Amino acid sequence: MTEPILEIENLHISFMTRDTEIPAVMDFSCSVMPGEVMGLVGESGCGKSTVALGIMRDLSNKGKITHGRIKYRGRDMGDMSPEELRQIRGSKIAMIYQEPMASLNPAMRIGRQLMEVPIIHENVSKEEAYERSLQMLEKVRLPDPPRVMEAYPHQISGGQQQRIVIAMALLSNPDLLLLDEPTTALDVTVEAGIVELIKELGRTTGTSMLFISHNLGLILETCDRITVMYSGEAVEVGNVKDVFDRMRHPYTQGLFNSIPLPGTDKNARPLISIPGQLPLPHQRPFGCNFGPRCSHFKEGVCNHREIPMQDVDVGDRHQSRCERINDIDWNAEPERENVSDPVPPGEVVLSIRDLKKYYSVSANAIFGGGDARTVKANESITFDARSAETVAIVGESGCGKSTLAKVLLGLETKTEGTVLLGNVEIGDKEVEQRGTETVSSIQMVFQNPFDTLNPSHTVGSQIIRTLEKFNIGNTQDERRERMLELLDLVKLPRAFEARMPRQLSGGQKQRIGVARAFAGQPKVVVADEPVSALDVSVQAAVTQLLMEIQREAKTTMLFISHDLSVVRYISDRVVVMYLGHIVEQGTTDEIFAPPYHPYTEALLSAIPIADTSVEKKHIVLEGDIPSALNPPTGCPFQTRCRYKDQVPGGLCEKDVPPVQTLASGHSIKCHLAEDILSRMEPVINIKDAETEAVPAE
Amino acid sequence: MERLTGLEITAQILIQFTPVWIGLALILAISYMFKKKLGLYGKLYDSRIGMVGLILVLFWALTAIFADMIVTMDPLDQISGMKNKKPGTPVRGVEGAYYLLGGDNLARDIFSRMVMGSRTVLAIAPAATIFAFMVGITLGLPAGYYGKRLDTVLSFIANLVLAFPVILLFYLLVTPEVRSTGVPLWLAGVLFLFPIIFFVMLFYSRYKEQPQKLMWMLAVTLVIGFWAYSGLAFNMDPLGVFYMDPNLLNIFVSVVFVNSPTVFRIVRGLTIDIKTRDYVAAAQTRGEQPWYIMLWEVLPNARGPLIVDFCLRIGYTTILLGTLGFFGLGVSPESPDWGMTINEGRKLLPIYPHLALPPALALMSLVLGLNLLADGLREESLKD
Repeated sequence: MTEPILEIENLHISFMTRDTEIPAVMDFSCSVMPGEVMGLVGESGCGKSTVALGIMRDLSNKGKITHGRIKYRGRDMGDMSPEELRQIRGSKIAMIYQEPMASLNPAMRIGRQLMEVPIIHENVSKEEAYERSLQMLEKVRLPDPPRVMEAYPHQISGGQQQRIVIAMALLSNPDLLLLDEPTTALDVTVEAGIVELIKELGRTTGTSMLFISHNLGLILETCDRITVMYSGEAVEVGNVKDVFDRMRHPYTQGLFNSIPLPGTDKNARPLISIPGQLPLPHQRPFGCNFGPRCSHFKEGVCNHREIPMQDVDVGDRHQSRCERINDIDWNAEPERENVSDPVPPGEVVLSIRDLKKYYSVSANAIFGGGDARTVKANESITFDARSAETVAIVGESGCGKSTLAKVLLGLETKTEGTVLLGNVEIGDKEVEQRGTETVSSIQMVFQNPFDTLNPSHTVGSQIIRTLEKFNIGNTQDERRERMLELLDLVKLPRAFEARMPRQLSGGQKQRIGVARAFAGQPKVVVADEPVSALDVSVQAAVTQLLMEIQREAKTTMLFISHDLSVVRYISDRVVVMYLGHIVEQGTTDEIFAPPYHPYTEALLSAIPIADTSVEKKHIVLEGDIPSALNPPTGCPFQTRCRYKDQVPGGLCEKDVPPVQTLASGHSIKCHLAEDILSRMEPVINIKDAETEAVPAE
Repeated sequence: MERLTGLEITAQILIQFTPVWIGLALILAISYMFKKKLGLYGKLYDSRIGMVGLILVLFWALTAIFADMIVTMDPLDQISGMKNKKPGTPVRGVEGAYYLLGGDNLARDIFSRMVMGSRTVLAIAPAATIFAFMVGITLGLPAGYYGKRLDTVLSFIANLVLAFPVILLFYLLVTPEVRSTGVPLWLAGVLFLFPIIFFVMLFYSRYKEQPQKLMWMLAVTLVIGFWAYSGLAFNMDPLGVFYMDPNLLNIFVSVVFVNSPTVFRIVRGLTIDIKTRDYVAAAQTRGEQPWYIMLWEVLPNARGPLIVDFCLRIGYTTILLGTLGFFGLGVSPESPDWGMTINEGRKLLPIYPHLALPPALALMSLVLGLNLLADGLREESLKD
């Protein structure tokens, strides 16, 4: 057997605070073989990044490895001198962080930053360092490397920046690459490109990798093996295929049940969230850390001792930290409590026709000089939304979905077109000019849970204020009573009334956000990526709650998202946007089946799906999303479209395509002829059901 | 009688400060017991630097309060034969009385003057800073929140004031010629309006939906506000409760005037940052008025940096008052103003260093205390 590149044995890492010692990682073991990609998955606060920092010995002065060893090529890194460690760091072990802009020095040209690596670690001449950097930039497929070498980091896009960071990490030919959520800050289609690159580099250079992510789909696409972490411990280790298809830990199973995979359905097969919350580091229970949240918990078995990793008989080197591996029926279909009947959509509530929103940006705002340029944030948006219907608006950053939300809520006014809420035109009225009735009937759930509540006021007073503004209740006592009912509605204890937002977890804050939005019995709720900043298990619970309330109240929901998996699960109809245009719209089934708009096709191919039975066609878009300040002529998507050569006469570059209506309600904005569209193949194929945990349809 | 030795002087001074020590001990002990419930102030007790600052500031605050009990002599009394006498000299003709820190050029007791001097500083500096904050906040919030033209105009005016040399400005405002034109009075009339505007907007925006409560609050605010306003700005208080010496008014107005543009800029910057938060958007989407958002959504979340700046600014104002006194623009020619005392002692510094040193050290320790307190607050507020 070959020697592992990295071997971690019983690692314990603690953070020392003034009062106590907080254990962040406990009894963590894993090994990475040469050429192997190990995925590390878990929710925030489970200690996965701490492991990576422990490997780099970059724990600041508060963190300490209290027990256990990290061995690099058989040598204990704890025995190495600081000098030796410095030699290894950056040259043998390289790390790639989440935020590319934070890893690059904004005051240095990219070329110099790249050249530093071989100059420092290998003492090569400047000329050679330049040559190597140039080659590496080509390897990470950046267009026009000499120009990039001369650029400053802020002059290139986020995707390109991350490629630079990867190039920098690879310049010293590391044996081991630590990737800490390398694509989380990027758009889906850009992410797909980076993932493709990482996979390819792994194949060609044979570098071992430790890939940290919270996204199971991404792990499936990139990794050979996976370690699932929960509350500072590894709970399951094994080959990706084994863990995905034959999981042997209730937490892993819970994770898979709470993500919207193909086959889940909001009515018939709803998601199952994991009850409870991640325990705080100093409040972990004795025995199995997952015990209090586990449906298989058995008193006296799961909490009679600290549970070690145990071998699982299925799969290769497959281990789980579950005391009842052999008692639990792993194939049993989980109970789904929330099964409900679909609610048929009612009459049209929100009707948008040819909505345009332009911003003028002038170079010099104070003296009014300079060129005034126009940003076309929304370009002829047309769609309807019915009561009790969920319409998803999908697109990447800069596609205009947030601008659309702002116009609907009256934070901006339209440039042209009509926006009818019921029979009332609201597009030209700012929120201050709207009546209370209108204001309370269109409300919003915001994306960032840490920003959605004012940190200076109690939760209760914020909801009461909303009720006050909506003229609900006549006295403060009545409003308080209504506020308590709203807390019940979002399934939070009434005692939360007096809490400050900082005392709440992300999921709880988002629930308060939901309560606030539904306070005035709105007709339309705009949900702007309401769960994307939450952890997977919490996501499911909040999504479920949102849909439940919506179903009860027959509210129309506009669900803004970039995540097509969630969209497929939650929405009845989908609107796909790109650079201000609606490129495709239709029912969810129509969008997820051919014919597609070329952009929808790429978007579908880009989402990572955590299901081994899914086969996807690989379409990686070239380049980045063009700037809305300087959009391409003709079709907005023509710069990245792979079908462009199938349209005769260069029409794509000249004219904005017409809207083709394919079926009633399904329309595509594309020049492609109908027969080409109809010959498209589905992007997502589900292989015959051979999985057990997640049977396919 | 013999002159006191250094040790005896120190002991005597410490005894004289007895009320201060008792007050200090009480405040610190009680605060320490309840520190868990006192928020940011309670957390200050975990920071060594903050504690040193707090003790220094409290020391001077208590000295100002108990000044009457601490002084050994009347600070304005001139006793013949005590001119420029060394520290610890017994007072001629009075049994058991000493000039603890010596006598000054006009044969007055330096110790008592220093103690009394703290009153001038601590009466003006915090109050003037509060007024400067009211002005800065009331203008900075809309400038940051609305932006565009309003911001451009207000920022321009602020820059104009800031660009003017401060000392020159003071000279102008305090000189009799300018005073006779009524400019300071007019300035006071404008600047003192801001606190009233601030509180009216504060209550109006919050309780608009509860008219009953609103009426009460507005009535109380307006009555007290304009009562104080008439007295302070124009000396026309019908009841004669609020009154400000014309000299004091000048200095007060000048200090508020030069401090408010800086506060304005800080508030404006914080507002621009905070208005991009989702909770502000949430307030907008439920139809809140701009003033509600500014005063109840934005301002509470800007409090951290503002509290820190408040402490620093009192220190800065203290120095400014000292500087003014030094240039002879003090409250009144006779008053035991620290700056003025330093200026008087300056001329005799080579021969009698004990004249200028006590007020200089007093000024320094108070400002140091305020700066350390600000540091401590900043450190502790970042830890949350």
